[in-house]
Amino acid sequence: MDKLRRYSSFYEMVCSQAERLPQKTAFKIEREGKVAEVTFAAFKEDIDNLVSKVMGHGGSCAAVVCDGSYSCILNIMALCRAGYQTVLLDASLSEEELLELMDATDVDFVLGDEDLEELLREKNGEISDSSSGDGSAGPTRILFFTSGTTEHSKAVVLTESTLCSSAYNGSYLLPLSEDDTLLCLLPLNHVFGFVCGFLWGFSGGSCVALGRGMRHLIDDLSFFKPTAVSVVPQLLGFLLKNNLINTELSLVLIGAGDCPPEIIRGARERGLKVSFGYGLTETSSGVALSLGEDPYLMTICPDFEVAISEDGEVLIGNTTCMMAGYYNDPADTAAALSDGVLHTGDLGVLEDGKLRITGRKKEILVLSDGTKIFLPEYERALAKRLPGRDFAVTGVDGSPYLFVYNANKDCDNGLDAAHIGRSIETFMMKLPRGQQIKKICVINNPLPRTATGKIKRWELKEGRRY
Amino acid sequence: MENKKYTRAEILEITKEIIYESAPELEGKPLSEETVINTDTGIDSMGFTLIICRLEARFDVKIPDRQWKKLQSLSDVVTAIEKRL
Repeated sequence: MDKLRRYSSFYEMVCSQAERLPQKTAFKIEREGKVAEVTFAAFKEDIDNLVSKVMGHGGSCAAVVCDGSYSCILNIMALCRAGYQTVLLDASLSEEELLELMDATDVDFVLGDEDLEELLREKNGEISDSSSGDGSAGPTRILFFTSGTTEHSKAVVLTESTLCSSAYNGSYLLPLSEDDTLLCLLPLNHVFGFVCGFLWGFSGGSCVALGRGMRHLIDDLSFFKPTAVSVVPQLLGFLLKNNLINTELSLVLIGAGDCPPEIIRGARERGLKVSFGYGLTETSSGVALSLGEDPYLMTICPDFEVAISEDGEVLIGNTTCMMAGYYNDPADTAAALSDGVLHTGDLGVLEDGKLRITGRKKEILVLSDGTKIFLPEYERALAKRLPGRDFAVTGVDGSPYLFVYNANKDCDNGLDAAHIGRSIETFMMKLPRGQQIKKICVINNPLPRTATGKIKRWELKEGRRY
Repeated sequence: MENKKYTRAEILEITKEIIYESAPELEGKPLSEETVINTDTGIDSMGFTLIICRLEARFDVKIPDRQWKKLQSLSDVVTAIEKRL
């Protein structure tokens, strides 16, 4: 293991690597169709040059639209160094959606996206506060959204310190070496992408190759030749199916969603070491990682304590990686985090001190692309398009399936999947592709419910024969 | 690259070819302009990404990322390409 150590800030991490490994490659990026390299020393210099410019902005909170580029990482590092609360935004969202998220998190300015910065200026006017950064001695806060722009989406307040600790915990169980190249394919506005696609490698002195976006998922592995990569299950399935795995790749870290066994099997058959991780935005990413034969039985990271409540819920205690709370939402924070213990909403069991996740207590569907759907909210939106219909959404193989009861099957010949599809089409177009209904099942039996009227989603999933 | 003019029918045929090539499990399943990509074919968002990238390369066009989620049916895809040729 190469110099595994704890850091309390990104800049401390950067300085340490720049001093220890000044001429070693920190990043591989694409420049004019070729792989270009940035050393640790050059990265530190780029941050130092940017910090003075950033300080001139005033205000105390800045946003970065995370397109995965080198300048995006540089902007985040410089803002944190300058003491700005930094909000990480999803590059696939529309300008209206981004403005909505910035409004909810009191963003003063946007760094690295002039068009969006202009829109924010038009909306909010000039920054009145002439001070720069938060001026506090505490660690800089970084806000991650739990999912898109739904009403259930929350901004989780993490810090440089919690994120650095998360990288330490991951590296402790699953170290990368200085010879490794970690390919960063996942968006940095997701905590799994930020920690496991970037910090995990960078903090240990490995090289981080910055993926070139969706259009290059088919050739990024052959272009950068990584030895390790962090992926969501769906992405790994895609890489395997299309034979996109490069010969140098030896380690795959899967996270952010349930992974079907056949995908893990497929990766192992290619000779890859596969580790499966469990974590939440609220815990700054990884809580436990599988290291052995059973991919779903996970060793708990050193800073974490895990217990199972009487009703089977996974409870997490931690002092180094835990969120400060949900931004401006003390009620939800108190509901999730009491006496320092996080109520995850996930169900699990402990086997010889190792964690196995068995299901979900909350009505949240975690999709195979790592995104989440809050089912009651999703179904309320569908109900507007399907008035009077009895229906439910559940997850099958990591995708949302819609089950609709054909209550008047004798006189309602027109109810078929295509008809329903047309009714919900405009709503689907507003959703990210992975969250759109994958299959519509018209069923001739009433939806299975509990005595209190709750839909038994598990039975629906099992009864796909409908 | 040669800027060939395609008819709508030709774009549809090439789109279908690329879908069959990218999702061989659909072989034998008829595809038409009315086919809804998500619910009728079972192609997931990654598979869709692959198809759009191949179509963009084939027709030398670029469909902006933020438009992708609006492409529900094959007809939407064909129209998006047609507009950019």
